[in-house]
Amino acid sequence: MAELSLQHIDKIYDNNVQAVFDFNMDVKDGELIVLVGPSGCGKSTTLRMVAGLEDISRGSLLLDGVDITRMPAKDRDMAMVFQNYALYGHMTVYENMAFSMTLRKENPNVIHKKVLAAAEILGLTSQLNKKPAQLSGGQRQRVAMGRSIVRNPKVFLFDEPLSNLDAKLRGATRREILLLHKRLQATMLYVTHDQTEALTLADRIVCMSMGHVQQIGTPLELYDTPANLFVAGFIGLPPMNFFDVLFEDGMLKGKGFTVQLTEEEKHRLSSYNMKEITLGIRPEDICEGNDIAVKVFSNENLGMNTLVHGHMGNGLRVTAKLRGWAEYRPGDEVRVSFGRKHFFDKVTTNAIRGEE
Amino acid sequence: MTDDRIVKRDRMRYTKNTLSSTLALLGIVFDVLYFVSIYQSDVGTYYYNILIGASVLYNLIFMLMAFLSSEGVKNYKPGYSWLLMALGLGQIVRIFILPLSAFRAEYVIKKVSYPVMEAGQFTWVVVCLCISAACCFASAVINLIKSRQLAEHIASLGDKA
Repeated sequence: MAELSLQHIDKIYDNNVQAVFDFNMDVKDGELIVLVGPSGCGKSTTLRMVAGLEDISRGSLLLDGVDITRMPAKDRDMAMVFQNYALYGHMTVYENMAFSMTLRKENPNVIHKKVLAAAEILGLTSQLNKKPAQLSGGQRQRVAMGRSIVRNPKVFLFDEPLSNLDAKLRGATRREILLLHKRLQATMLYVTHDQTEALTLADRIVCMSMGHVQQIGTPLELYDTPANLFVAGFIGLPPMNFFDVLFEDGMLKGKGFTVQLTEEEKHRLSSYNMKEITLGIRPEDICEGNDIAVKVFSNENLGMNTLVHGHMGNGLRVTAKLRGWAEYRPGDEVRVSFGRKHFFDKVTTNAIRGEE
Repeated sequence: MTDDRIVKRDRMRYTKNTLSSTLALLGIVFDVLYFVSIYQSDVGTYYYNILIGASVLYNLIFMLMAFLSSEGVKNYKPGYSWLLMALGLGQIVRIFILPLSAFRAEYVIKKVSYPVMEAGQFTWVVVCLCISAACCFASAVINLIKSRQLAEHIASLGDKA
């Protein structure tokens, strides 16, 4: 049982630089929360504040209802897995995993049982006598996770644990973390700048930018109904296409193109008549059709999909993710249609939901 | 066998035999103490003979072998126990060579005879050598017992598998 509550948390450094602004979130027991955002957005700082490695300037942090804002890191019953593994090179895997409990002078037999159980979970049983230098990156990261598991902490904290791994290993280790979470049913906070990790791992995602929380929601909510332009642009690969358009006569008029709207879309935009808004279209929501002409300048085949980069009228850049293998050449013209559309207020950059 | 004893034996698969290793290193420490103590009784040219050369050489060999053994027993290698026993025996034998002869000898300078080694110093070097030998023996015996237990445990795991 571990419920974490972050209430109005700010982080202000000594030089008056504020890294985190009014962070509010309640983490339920057994939930896997992913903090995602670009470098410098404050996600690692937030994690380090939760771990107790950074002081909380304002606000409070509660663990199971107990205020741990000023509690030292060692007393918080949390385990952190770092990007660089932080393993002791002169110790074996077994010794690395047992180290924290050895320091706390726990019974060696109990330590032994816990280490073997963790090694079994992580598939490290045959590696226990090896030193970290003899292991692959993925195995080292598993050792780092094992070191956390043996402590049986209330909360697991992961600070970009997969960033040092190559793409293939990253995928495999990501799946292992997911299985681990399902098996342990532990509360986990996971920091990453990789949206694929965020979308595949999270029960809920916290998207951050410039120290502010932009949106908290399930992966589907962030992908399907982004709260603002930042989230819309950050979540999704390739990123969403944005166009400045004028809503007029039930149509969206852009530079050199016009988009017809459905009745539901017109209703959502009813308060924006004759106003400029930002239209967002995900590359995967663009399909070959008859509406808009795109002049191709680049074609990337990904196997089952093809990324087509081109210009619409007046030089607006657009990226489309088309199904199947296509071989467009620079200069080819392809006609496309827009599927699901996202609308954003041009001033506030917030999504237009139509409730206004 | 109780569960705790089984776990204790199973732990040996992943932990080092630090007790044996430390005892072997302690054997070296007391050998060094003996080594630096014996020449404090340098009277005239008593020690200037081939025996002292051999003693220095043996000390180097002892330290090297004992260190190698400490690493070997750390990994429960039973063969190093026999080497440690031989080294321990060597330390006992040494008592009767250089220290004892120095203790019994007298050196004459300007028609006055002086004891080469006083009783107090003799006692100290004997104690050093005895402790060094005891450490070697203890290290060897503990390693023999533990390595045998580990071998039996691994064999029992193999049987279960």
